[in-house]
Amino acid sequence: MLRDERLSQYALLTVALALVATYLFPVYWMYVTALKSGNEIVAWPPTFWPADPDFAAAEVWERLQMATYMKNSVIIAVGVTLIVVTLGTGCGYALARVRSRWMDVVLFAILMMQVLPSSLMITPIFVAFSQIGLLDYPRTAVILAQAAKVLPFYVVLTRATFIQVPKELEEAALVDGNSRIGAFLSINVPLARNGILVAALLIFLQSLGEYVYSRSLIQARAFQPATVGLQSFMGPNTSDWQGVMTYAAIYVTPIILFFVLLQRQIVSGLTSGALK
Amino acid sequence: MNMQIEIDQIDKYYGAYHALKSVDVRIPQGQFVALVGPSGCGKSTLLRTIAGLETISSGAIRIAGADVSSAPPRQRDLAMVFQSYALYPHKTVAGNMTYALRLKGMNRAQARARAEEIAAITGLEKLMDRYPRELSGGQRQRVAMGRAIVREPQAFLFDEPLSNLDAALRVHMRAEIRKLHDRIGATSVYVTHDQIEAMTMADHVVVMRAGVIEQQGAPLDLYDRPVNRFVAGFIGSPAMNFVPARVGDDGGHVILDLPGSPRLTFDGHRPAGEAVIVGLRPEHLIPGTGDNALSLPIANVERTGSATFVRTATDPDVMIAANDRLAGVTTGTITVTIRPELIYLFSPETDGALRTG
Repeated sequence: MLRDERLSQYALLTVALALVATYLFPVYWMYVTALKSGNEIVAWPPTFWPADPDFAAAEVWERLQMATYMKNSVIIAVGVTLIVVTLGTGCGYALARVRSRWMDVVLFAILMMQVLPSSLMITPIFVAFSQIGLLDYPRTAVILAQAAKVLPFYVVLTRATFIQVPKELEEAALVDGNSRIGAFLSINVPLARNGILVAALLIFLQSLGEYVYSRSLIQARAFQPATVGLQSFMGPNTSDWQGVMTYAAIYVTPIILFFVLLQRQIVSGLTSGALK
Repeated sequence: MNMQIEIDQIDKYYGAYHALKSVDVRIPQGQFVALVGPSGCGKSTLLRTIAGLETISSGAIRIAGADVSSAPPRQRDLAMVFQSYALYPHKTVAGNMTYALRLKGMNRAQARARAEEIAAITGLEKLMDRYPRELSGGQRQRVAMGRAIVREPQAFLFDEPLSNLDAALRVHMRAEIRKLHDRIGATSVYVTHDQIEAMTMADHVVVMRAGVIEQQGAPLDLYDRPVNRFVAGFIGSPAMNFVPARVGDDGGHVILDLPGSPRLTFDGHRPAGEAVIVGLRPEHLIPGTGDNALSLPIANVERTGSATFVRTATDPDVMIAANDRLAGVTTGTITVTIRPELIYLFSPETDGALRTG
């Protein structure tokens, strides 16, 4: 009996590992290809470990003008995060404090906005932005569009955090002589800090990988983010696979590191509150 | 007398729900007032309207003569101690205590010095740099008190501040809060569901039920002269016994609706044949024989050492609280006497008092 249970546990574990391996294989392949030389990349049968590892990071960074692309990506991500945190934190708090049977409807409506795919929204956004002349400031245009897209996600996440801050703390601050906005800033925000940081981080990373809006709204190469830049090197005639893969690795590694290093905070920020 | 808090005919509605009904309380400077009643009676709502955390639908609230009916909490200069203490978890004890002072514009050093002063009174000197999560329940309670005292407010508001403490500490803190109140000479409003707390701490007790003030007055007045059956049953522990009865032919005694139809003489006069509810306090029923005696079958006997509680096997049952051991009394019948002036009579229709002690 006990042996059967253990066997089935191992079987399930094997299945799980196989699934994870399948899922992570492209990431592995990206790193491995980045280290291979031209001939080895197209060799058949493929090698699963580079015979002669070749670090091309510095050379690729220079040749593919990654500095410009990365800079644009960071500008867009920082801009989106700033706008979303400024506008969304108060909103999440307000939605956490209002008690109404309509709240579920409100939350559903907010999440609906998040569900609409970017590729669907981009046409009306493009038309509107071009009419008001926003396309002359392409990065600003992308920041606005992306902020609008991820704001609902941020609001819903921070609302969950603010719900866990007891109302009495705020009331104590009011009786102690603070205004509502003062109590919000000196009591609620510090106590919801973990949740706010995690939500902001997720927004930042998501905006760092933004593609659809940048692709459509930014024509000039000098303003394009890394996602669009990477795509412009790929096509039916691509031969520089090592360059493309190195580019992708440089782009993706900081994001993965961020997640691995902060995974405990991220998980706890998403599931439980800042309060003990 | 100089009124510190005046609550003038206030009403509070939550939608269609009428939470406070024409509530009227006047609190003189330096008085300790307890708001007491069962849960949902509106006592906490009343306290929160005083604090400004709830708005009132009509009426007026004045603090030290100034109308604050629609003023936000920060303009009322009151300090509140919450049931959960509501200590700021991200601030140290000192940070909690200086928060309000800093908001008033006091500089850091002055505020800290003032907090140290109060910490010495409340026994918090050694805890100033700890965070609330590092404190025990009793210590947190003290910090909540200290945070209120340091403000020197117009009045203190307490929202069941002792209900999270264990029994021994609660009794201790009860005396300590009253001592602090006397020492500071502040005005205090104290919400509790525990009538013993209200009776022992307050100068003036306000008994509420369903948003209405049933009676207010000095604690022993409420005990001696409750205006209705609810107050009579709420004040006093164990609770008063209520027995249906009929006034006898001479209008000076009642015939209880209990086995053997016992007769009890009472002080005063009621119309003969009137249906009444007789109120008998358990501690007024003295075991032994004599005038105005009552013999009833025993259901069970509980001995706590200092007091003995006997419950009778009748319908309704009668509780007797004797302050002797009643050695050997376990079953059979018990005979008790009661002085005629200690018999309370209530109207079965209105529940109002017809005769009180």
